Amino acid sequence: MERQRKIMVAILALLAIIAVIAVVDIGLKIEKKTKSDIKMSLPEFGPGVGIVRVEGAIEMSGTGSPFGVPRGAEAVIKRLSEIERDSSIKAVVLRINSPGGTVAATQEIYEKLWKLRKKNIILVASMGDVAASGGYYIASACNFIVANYGTITGSIGVIAYSPNLKRLFDKFGIQMNVIKSGKYKDILATHRDMTPEERSLLQEMIDLSYNKFIRDIALGRNMNQEDIRPIADGRVMNGETALKNKLIDQLGTFEDAILKAKELAALDADAPVYEQNDSPFQEILGSIKNIFQGEMGLGSELFHNTDKIEYRYMQ
Amino acid sequence: MILETIKSLRWTDFFLYAITDPRELYRRIRQKDPDPFALSFIIPAVASLFDILVLSLAGKETGFFYYKMSYGWILVFIYAVFKIVIYSSLVDVTAQFFGYKGNIREMLTIANFSIFPGIFLLPVFYLFAVIDFAPGFFYVFFSILFFIWYVMIFVQGISEMHSIDFGKSFVIFILPALFIGIVVFLITVLLVITGIGFITA
Repeated sequence: MERQRKIMVAILALLAIIAVIAVVDIGLKIEKKTKSDIKMSLPEFGPGVGIVRVEGAIEMSGTGSPFGVPRGAEAVIKRLSEIERDSSIKAVVLRINSPGGTVAATQEIYEKLWKLRKKNIILVASMGDVAASGGYYIASACNFIVANYGTITGSIGVIAYSPNLKRLFDKFGIQMNVIKSGKYKDILATHRDMTPEERSLLQEMIDLSYNKFIRDIALGRNMNQEDIRPIADGRVMNGETALKNKLIDQLGTFEDAILKAKELAALDADAPVYEQNDSPFQEILGSIKNIFQGEMGLGSELFHNTDKIEYRYMQ
Repeated sequence: MILETIKSLRWTDFFLYAITDPRELYRRIRQKDPDPFALSFIIPAVASLFDILVLSLAGKETGFFYYKMSYGWILVFIYAVFKIVIYSSLVDVTAQFFGYKGNIREMLTIANFSIFPGIFLLPVFYLFAVIDFAPGFFYVFFSILFFIWYVMIFVQGISEMHSIDFGKSFVIFILPALFIGIVVFLITVLLVITGIGFITA
């Protein structure tokens, strides 16, 4: 029995030795790797450039996401507020990849950007695939605009639309029962023709929003309204044409925009860039939501509500 | 007193019988010479450390390994003890449900010693990792083998504890697993349904 006990102790000791060997072995393997392989990513600090991304249609999505995480224009404004409070961010690069969106949401982002600009935070817009209509509107609030040659921009104008299904309704014998408090309450109704009065009312609203658009671009770009109006007829243009029309300041990439922001804010070329980081939890929830709703970007493209007045490039 | 017990090497009998004769293991546990209750918790502690080492040997390690070996080990050990306490309690309750006398202290000791063979996964896996001969396959293969061994020790311990045959003690052992499985399945289904409803709302 005593012999068996000694054998057991030997086995346990052997196990302990194997464990020590395994630890040393793994440690040596780690040491063999280059320093860059095992380098822990340290948080950057000091004066730098903050990145804000505007992706997809611009609209007020509120906190319709799980756990009250802001989405849409609300998320952009939240990010801009964070930057406003962060004293280490001296410049902002606004990366825009958006065809525009609703008037109110666009104007809220524009106003927020102006607030930052007034606080002497340098704003540089970097246009991606498309930064048209409302996408251009918010870019115009920036000190400097950079676009790619192939960026689709322009489309300065306002649009509201609704389908007229009257003939379809008549064909199928469908009639709508409408009980309303005023004659304009069902303006943009799809089951009947629009009356001249309704059209005039909406046109007036569109014109007012359009004039505000022109005024704000003129203010942001430091141009005369008269110089903008000839090209503000809804036309789209690429980056090169936009540069000729003085709608942008430089042709270049996202990297160029970051360098320009550093230059304008008198930062070192190696100053840190503070990327817009959603928590992994937020990203997972966002991805799951996109899967279930067939949604991409900040706004809903597939379930686009037609009863809106928008600064939007209709693709 | 403790030193004398250590020097006497009687404590090694528990480890020896865990491997060679689980029924004798239980008889030694009941005799309490020495009391193996505290000693038995060394096994989940060592098993947790060895599990981390095996997984670290299997993967490409970075500097994070040292965190796993320190904080990670403590967390894995706490989790292992939590699992053992919960499962032993459920097995003890099941035994009482069948009319046998419960003894959670002895049940915990059996459960702890049952995982002792699993410690041998490290040297076995290390061998295949060093010679680079299908380490992934042998990790899975030996994990299954050592799990079956764990079940055999636990079931024979229960059998000896309540003086019942192997089949009945196996039913006492497996019922809590089925119960946990059903509960986890139902919770998962409810969480998925609630999650989908919440996210798509």
